[in-house]
Amino acid sequence: MAEVKFENASRIYPGSDEPAVDRLNIDIGDGELLVLVGPSGSGKSTALRMLAGLEWIDSGSVYINDKDVTLSPPQDRDIAMVFQNYALYPSMTVAQNMGFALKQQGIPKEQRTKQVREAARILDLEPYLDRKPKNLSGGQRQRVAMGRAIVRSPQVFLMDEPLSNLDAKLRVQTRTELADLQARLGVTTVYVTHDQVEALTMGHRVAVLNFGVLQQVDSPAILYSRPKNRFVAGFIGSPAMNLIDVDPGEDRHLRVADLDIPLAPEVAAALKTSGPGTHTVGLRPEHMSIGTEGIAGEVAVVEELGSESFVHVNTMHQGEPLLIEVRAEGQTKIQRGDHVNVAVRGPAHVFGPDGERVGD
Amino acid sequence: MSKSTDVADFGSNRFTGALLSGFTYLLGFMFFFPILWMVLNAFKTEADANGDPVFFFEPTLDQFRLVTEDIPGRASFSAVYTNSFTIVVVSTVIVMILAVPAAFALSVRPIAKWRDVLFFFISTKFLPVVAGILPVYIIGRELDLLNTRWSLIIMYTALNLPLAVWMLRSFFQEVPTELIEAARIDGASLRSQLTSVVLPIVAPGLAATGLLCFIFAWNEFFLSLQLNTSDAQTASVWVTGFESQREDFIAKLSAASTLVVLPVVLAGWVAQKRMIRGLAMGAIK
Amino acid sequence: MQTVDPVSDEVSSNAPSETPSNVRSEAAKKIQKRDAWSRRIPLLPALIFLIAVTQIPFVLSIYYSLTEWTVNPPRPRTFEGVENYTFAFTDDFFRDAAWVTAKMTFWSVVLSVLFGLGMAMLLDRKFRGVGVVRTLVLTPFLVMPVVASLVWKTQMFDASFGMINWFTDQLGLEPYEFVSRRPLWSVIAVLVWQWTPFMMLILLAGLQSQSDSVLEAARVDGATKWGIFRQITLPHLRSYIELCALLGAIYLIQVFDHIVGLAGGVASTRNLPFFVYRTSIGGGWRFGEASAYSIIVVVITIIFATFGLRVLSGLLEGEDAA
Repeated sequence: MAEVKFENASRIYPGSDEPAVDRLNIDIGDGELLVLVGPSGSGKSTALRMLAGLEWIDSGSVYINDKDVTLSPPQDRDIAMVFQNYALYPSMTVAQNMGFALKQQGIPKEQRTKQVREAARILDLEPYLDRKPKNLSGGQRQRVAMGRAIVRSPQVFLMDEPLSNLDAKLRVQTRTELADLQARLGVTTVYVTHDQVEALTMGHRVAVLNFGVLQQVDSPAILYSRPKNRFVAGFIGSPAMNLIDVDPGEDRHLRVADLDIPLAPEVAAALKTSGPGTHTVGLRPEHMSIGTEGIAGEVAVVEELGSESFVHVNTMHQGEPLLIEVRAEGQTKIQRGDHVNVAVRGPAHVFGPDGERVGD
Repeated sequence: MSKSTDVADFGSNRFTGALLSGFTYLLGFMFFFPILWMVLNAFKTEADANGDPVFFFEPTLDQFRLVTEDIPGRASFSAVYTNSFTIVVVSTVIVMILAVPAAFALSVRPIAKWRDVLFFFISTKFLPVVAGILPVYIIGRELDLLNTRWSLIIMYTALNLPLAVWMLRSFFQEVPTELIEAARIDGASLRSQLTSVVLPIVAPGLAATGLLCFIFAWNEFFLSLQLNTSDAQTASVWVTGFESQREDFIAKLSAASTLVVLPVVLAGWVAQKRMIRGLAMGAIK
Repeated sequence: MQTVDPVSDEVSSNAPSETPSNVRSEAAKKIQKRDAWSRRIPLLPALIFLIAVTQIPFVLSIYYSLTEWTVNPPRPRTFEGVENYTFAFTDDFFRDAAWVTAKMTFWSVVLSVLFGLGMAMLLDRKFRGVGVVRTLVLTPFLVMPVVASLVWKTQMFDASFGMINWFTDQLGLEPYEFVSRRPLWSVIAVLVWQWTPFMMLILLAGLQSQSDSVLEAARVDGATKWGIFRQITLPHLRSYIELCALLGAIYLIQVFDHIVGLAGGVASTRNLPFFVYRTSIGGGWRFGEASAYSIIVVVITIIFATFGLRVLSGLLEGEDAA
């Protein structure tokens, strides 16, 4: 149980001009599950490894429970890590894998066996204790990797894309089990993933990174409803938000293909002083609807998922073709080639020429 | 192993396949023939072995008896064999003890200048032993090591060390970095990382490397000839003593040769798969 | 500020913004230094041993090469500078030996790689007994070189009773004195016999490491067997072939046993190492000269090896990320 703090932590790889992680500042509370999410190369894994002590920290500091661990080697940080490829010791049985760290600490065999059994019980691994990793399925190996981490009762759990190697169905199932386990154990956890759905469903808070720079750290709800910049807006939410470039012009109105987009009062007010230049309007597919009024266009593609459908509508905006994705509830009779209208039913997000959110 | 997309699979028809296999058997036989012939000759009388080739004969163990009995003026078979075995085994063990940590320091937790160090190791093979024998002989003489087992043990270790480091290093690189990192996080010391994590994974590679060192050391001739002419003679020098100007010698030579190549050939056959993997792995990566 | 990364031991400069306090940077530097040393220590025993055993003789050779030192008749050793080296370049025997070395090494390497490739291709198939054939083909590599030389000389090549001549005699051909008429090629033949298995093993590994999907894609695209070989297999094998050639050359330049065992060291088979040996304790007793020769051999090998190792660097480069 511990608090974790990144304080202006940076890592720049030798020979590289840009830092992999640039002055990262995050405070993580005791027992919190914080997700680091971002595209490839965003620095999320690097940040995790900096916390683990597997990456050198070039400047700034990292604290675990107010103790500066920046210069401590991994074994002195009282952390446990679950790797993407599980990193199970192939020559050892499951029980030996899980007991390895305890053995290094000099814990006597009886005690070790007890702790291993307890962890195995929590993860349903008891029947496999004497097997070697090569005789386990992917899902079982993943649980052994988890077991290896929880058996140590560390201060912090570090997880580097632990579910990425599972097939889709198992991934969804394990996701909930993992979140549940973390809540029960109450251990502070830092979790890295590239999958924003995973991030939003699991994290108490989510930190979005891009090119080594922290974009926003908030609860999933706030990330969804109040993305701080264009990048976060386009990254969070599935399917992605429609992002449309518009110049507000003299009258400070935003028109998408002739439709004057309705804005919340504080947004419209902020828009008046947001300066010249191209702004971006963000409209989520689930905040629009197909009907008889709104932007006119022609249906290009219809995706039927049974519980919902996604309709891609071609229209013209500022002389250029524009494709808008709209969500429809349940199954739809709309077909490719139909002429439809798209109306805006929910909040419109606006981002200024610098990509930052306009209005609060 | 082989795929349906075999390059050498000329024609999917069974006839050409069988023809090709037959041709391969033939080539295999031809490659092996000189050795086969030598072993056959070991069981012949000198009369049968010298002169026109004889294919049907009465096998006899006489040659083996003659070759292994103690004759004054000739190093005894048991002494020579023991020398070779001791020298080769001790030197291989020393090589492994030195090479394993060295390979570790050049791969898993590499030092900054690992490339330079690797190059240095290989560069020690640039001076052919045959050409550089003079200072070695002089030093051997000064240190009173001539005609002892240690002279060859030391030299063979130096000869095999670069190869062993090279091969072991590439085996070590097979170990996923994540495994080492997991061990570090689990609190394992450097020694513990090596023994608990790395060595179990590279064990087959260790065996292959050791076998290759064994082969090269056992088969070595020049240094043994120069440094250990009388005492501590090895099998390679001993066997050349059977070539004679005075009498028929082919059967005896064949018997001696068979005895002398047996350990390495057997070891190579048994550990074939390992050695192949070792050569391929060690050579390629 | 330059720092050494204890994880990868690479040198880096600090990120621009924050600079750590003095106390912290002192501790950081100490940790980095301690870590760098903990990495070096496992290497030291092997390194020290090798330096001691190989470099001391090497330095001695350099020293001797700068002297005039003959033992038959015994004369005192005098310092002569580079005279031995200039002599080497005008010495016909030296030049002959260099030429023999080139021929012997070149042909043994090239032929064993070619035959090795052929055998590898034949063995890359699935058929009954493929393991047995592989074992049989492997064996020449395991046989002691002196034994191989003696067996070939007395039982294969022999003009009167050797197996080859027995065979050609069945075909009605005249017997041929292989070793006396063509000593160099006899040596090369035995070398190729012994080293083909080594090349075959490496190339077989190369053939079997081809990606199935790439080969299948090529077949689907309509490539012929020969086309696949030429455009996919050969390029894939390139680095393996280069490695074979490099390793083979390193060992084959140093051939000695076969030269002595087959032809008794007759002039046309004397490669550079043998020639140097003959000049020194092998009969010439001209130690100063011989030492100079050996240094020249080292220089030549360094030149070729640096060439060849640039090839291997290509193979080593790919590991940088590790």
